[in-house]
Amino acid sequence: MVIMREFTKYEAGWSDADELLLCLDTGSWRTKRPVLDKEKCNYCGLCALYCPPQCMVNMNDYFTPNLDFCKGCGICAKECPRGAITMVPEGEFSHEGAKG
Amino acid sequence: MKARKGEIKVITGNAAAAYGAMLCRPDVVASYPITPQTEVVEQLSRFHADGILDAEVVEVEGENSAMNIVAAAIIAGGRAFTATSSWGLAFMYDALLQAAGFRAPVVMANVNREMPGILAVSCGQQDMVSTRDSGWIQMAVENCQEILDSIIMAFRLAEDIDIQLPVMVNYDGFYLSFLAEAVEIPLREDADQFLAPLKLQPERTKLDPKRPLGCGTHGILIGFMELRYKHCAALERAKQKLDEIDREFGEFFGRSYGGQIEEYRTEDAEIVVITSGSAAGTARTVVDAKRAEGVKVGLVKLRLFRPFPRERLARALKGKKAVGVIDRSVCFGWNCGPIYMELRAVAPDIGFIPMMSFIDGLANMDITTPHIERVVDDVYAASQGKPYQEVTWIPLEE
Repeated sequence: MVIMREFTKYEAGWSDADELLLCLDTGSWRTKRPVLDKEKCNYCGLCALYCPPQCMVNMNDYFTPNLDFCKGCGICAKECPRGAITMVPEGEFSHEGAKG
Repeated sequence: MKARKGEIKVITGNAAAAYGAMLCRPDVVASYPITPQTEVVEQLSRFHADGILDAEVVEVEGENSAMNIVAAAIIAGGRAFTATSSWGLAFMYDALLQAAGFRAPVVMANVNREMPGILAVSCGQQDMVSTRDSGWIQMAVENCQEILDSIIMAFRLAEDIDIQLPVMVNYDGFYLSFLAEAVEIPLREDADQFLAPLKLQPERTKLDPKRPLGCGTHGILIGFMELRYKHCAALERAKQKLDEIDREFGEFFGRSYGGQIEEYRTEDAEIVVITSGSAAGTARTVVDAKRAEGVKVGLVKLRLFRPFPRERLARALKGKKAVGVIDRSVCFGWNCGPIYMELRAVAPDIGFIPMMSFIDGLANMDITTPHIERVVDDVYAASQGKPYQEVTWIPLEE
C-alpha cells in the first residue's frame, strides 16, 4: 500500500513546530476570544509569557493572539495588569475577525 | 571478518542479560528490581560501579518511571536499556504503549513471570502475552547464551532506521533467570563492530532545543491513522530484518538462532511441535528420542511472538500432517494457548491439518520430557486420523 498524501515525513508522532503543530485548527475550540485594546497596552509582554500554548504574536509595539491557534483560555486577559484584553464570546462575531 | 573467541564464563540468565546490555554501551539504564529480574539491575549497577558501564544509572521509584526515563533518553537521542517482569510490566503499561507510539527503540529484558490475579512468584509467559498488542517487538529465547546474543541483536533491530521500534527480549523467569550456564561473552571491540552499522545510517528524529519539535501531539486526525499505519508497516519489516540480523550475527560470532523461528529436524518431519522459551530445549531432547523410535517429528521454536512470523511458520508447516503447540500461558476468552490461537489464524496458509493446543508449565509447573512425549504421541495419533482433543491442560490430566 502507498500513502497517497503523507501528513508527516516522520515515522513517529513527531511534528514540526512551525509547519504542523501550529497549523492545527485549535482556534475552532474557542468559545471566547481575547480582544486587545491597543490604547491600554504598554507592551509589557506578560500576556505572551503566561500564554500556555505561546500563541501571542509580537507586533513590536503590542502583542496580539494568533486566532488560528488560541483556544480562548483567557489567561492573558486575567494576567494583563492594565486590563487591556477582554474575553468576548465568539457568538458576537459574525465572521472570522470582525465583530458586528 | 570474524569475531575473536570471547571469554567463557558460567553465569546466570540474568547476568547474561546484563552483560549483553553492558556490551551495547547504553547511555541510560533505569530499572526497578522485581523477582525474578533483580539480579539484572544489581549486575548493571555493579558494572557501573566498576567503571565498565559508562552510563547514567537512574534509581527509580517504580517501573512506570523506568520506562518513561528510558523512552525520554532515547527521544533525546541516546541509547537506553531497562529490565522488568510481570507486575512491573503491568505497572509500566501506559509508558510501554507510549514508548512504542513514540517509536522509541528501547531494548528491555522481560523475565517471564506469571501475571497478577492469582499471586504467583513463578515462571509463565503470561506477562509477555498480556502486552502483545502494545506495538512492541517481542522475542522469546531459550538459554543463557541466547539471552546475551539476543540483546545485542535487539539493539541492532530496534535502532535500525527502517524499524525504530522498542524490542522486548523475553526469557523464562526462574528456569533461565537463575540458571547458571557456560556463556561466551563477546569482546567489547567485537560487540562494537557488530553495532557499528547503526552509526552509518541517517540520524533518527530526536528532540533538540534548537529545532523545536512536538511529540505525542493530539488532534491530528488523519495523521493519527497514518502513524498507526507506519507503525504496523515497520512491524512487518521487522520480521525479515530479524532474519538478516541473525544471519549476520551467525557469520560474525558463529552463533545463530534462525531469526524469527528456529526449525529443528522439520525438513522431513510429518508432525511438528511448536513451543517457545526454555521449553524448546526439553522439546529438542524429546524430538531426538522420538526420532530414534521412528516417529518423524520436528520442532519449531517460536523466537518472535510480535510481529507474528506468519510467513516463516506457514513455510515450515506446509505439507505436515498435524501440529501441536505447547503454551506456557493462556488465552482468556479462547480457552487455549495464545501461540496456538495465533497459529489458527495462519491455518489457511498451511492447509487443514489437525492443530492441537497444550497448556503446560504455568506457575513453575515443569514442562517435562514425559509431558512433551505425550504431546508428540497425541499429535502423531491425530496425524493418523484418530479423533483428538483440541485443548489439553497437561498437568491437570496426569
